[in-house]
Amino acid sequence: VRPHRTRATGLVDLLVGTALAAVSLAALAAAVASGGRLLLAAGARGEAEDTVQLGVEALTFDARRAGYDPTASGVVPVAEARQDRVTFSADLDGTGTVDAGSEEVTTHLCSVATGRLSRIIGRQSMPLAEGVTACGFNYLDGAGLPIAVPASGLDAAARARVRAVALDLELQPPGLRGRTSRTIVVALRRSP
Amino acid sequence: MRRGSTALPAALAALAVSATLGAAVAELARIEVVLARDRRAATAALLATDACLAEAIAGIAPGWDLAALLAGPDGRSGTPDDGSLALPAGCIGGASAAPGPAAPPRILLRLEASAGGGRRRLEAVIGRATAPGPPALLWLAAPPAWSAVAGTVTLDGADVDDPTAATWAGLAAPDDAAGLDDWLAGEGTHIRLGAGTGPALTSAPPPVAALAARVRAAAPAGSEVLVPGTPSTALALVAGDLGVTGSLRGAGLLFVDGILDIHGALDFTGVVIVSGGVRVAAGGSLTVSGALWVDAPGPEVVVDGSVVLRQSQGGIEAADRLLPLPRRAALLGLRDLG
Repeated sequence: VRPHRTRATGLVDLLVGTALAAVSLAALAAAVASGGRLLLAAGARGEAEDTVQLGVEALTFDARRAGYDPTASGVVPVAEARQDRVTFSADLDGTGTVDAGSEEVTTHLCSVATGRLSRIIGRQSMPLAEGVTACGFNYLDGAGLPIAVPASGLDAAARARVRAVALDLELQPPGLRGRTSRTIVVALRRSP
Repeated sequence: MRRGSTALPAALAALAVSATLGAAVAELARIEVVLARDRRAATAALLATDACLAEAIAGIAPGWDLAALLAGPDGRSGTPDDGSLALPAGCIGGASAAPGPAAPPRILLRLEASAGGGRRRLEAVIGRATAPGPPALLWLAAPPAWSAVAGTVTLDGADVDDPTAATWAGLAAPDDAAGLDDWLAGEGTHIRLGAGTGPALTSAPPPVAALAARVRAAAPAGSEVLVPGTPSTALALVAGDLGVTGSLRGAGLLFVDGILDIHGALDFTGVVIVSGGVRVAAGGSLTVSGALWVDAPGPEVVVDGSVVLRQSQGGIEAADRLLPLPRRAALLGLRDLG
């Protein structure tokens, strides 16, 4: 009768098992860490995309209604036009006057220095986007050609030629290398 | 020693964390997809509303005010159809009077359109364009007939006085613009387009009958304003056909309530309106610096001779001063309502 041999766990087995376990755990930890980073990056990217979209939609909303003037009182659609800010006017309640303290006058202000795009209504400044790395407004005439904007902004005659407003917006999401950007051109809904 | 006492819990914990992370990433992706879908739906609805508005404005006949639109299809105010107008499919809305003074003429147009699962509403202020007529040299009440030009028609959309002025289309008519351009191209060498001539425009017919009534009410002169020498700017009405055999010139606004039949030469600066059609015989020539508006029961323009049409803002403005000309409807402003 052949004697039954019981195999004991030796030191080598333990070392190999420990090493395999360590490798497995390290791989798991790396996978979990990658998943965590992916989640954070996806969250940051999604937030950045939502933010620039919000900025674009806010400008579109205000630019489309610029110059709304049901009483034909002579509302000027673009009250201020600079590279870093644009102010729209509209007589939304049809009273024949434009109330500067209400939503009838809205300003969009870009500040790369503070990294912020804001929408200003009366004395209220609402940040639309933070982490702005590039931002600027451009103005197009009836032929779609850009109007040169001096440092002091467009004068009244030049503003009267404005038929569309363009916004270039770029954000740097925190923790990400790639930037998020949008360019939108919104035509004023007002015939010359 | 208890084997596996730490490995299994560690693996399960890692699995749980991974699953949680995966679920979070999936949820994030789902939210972004929903947001993107909502944005796409909102954009599609916005575009549909804008398209509806554009079609509604294009469907408003050129004229002087918008009272007919407020009165509705029955043409009477104070009836249930007041403010109702024909709109494209997928779009509803109606017109109402704008607040404030009656002049300049304008109305409020409320529209609602659905597309791509989204719905948008807007309110627009519609008025009349500042410039008379469509920006076209030849404005017809019906699509032109093929092979109507055996002679030559030259269309030059560049302004004779101001080369920097916006160029005009050669032709406007109630037809698809591409079809009009096909007609222009199909006439081959019989139609010559100047370098500054824009593509054809789709436009409602010229309101020739209303123009005739206004011209008659304005105490017009007759065909005597057409002279061989330097003409005076005048408002002229020719009741019936006008035959031109010699060489005549004119300026201002000429309304021919019949056929303009040219065997000689007519050179006119301003607006020529013809209710019975234009015939230019072989050897005849018609030159208009301004615009030619034609409505006719049969072929509107038959050219065996030569026709030259070129833009002249000065000529149009002079005619408009003599008699206010019809304007196209124009968007004066809008606001999104949601």
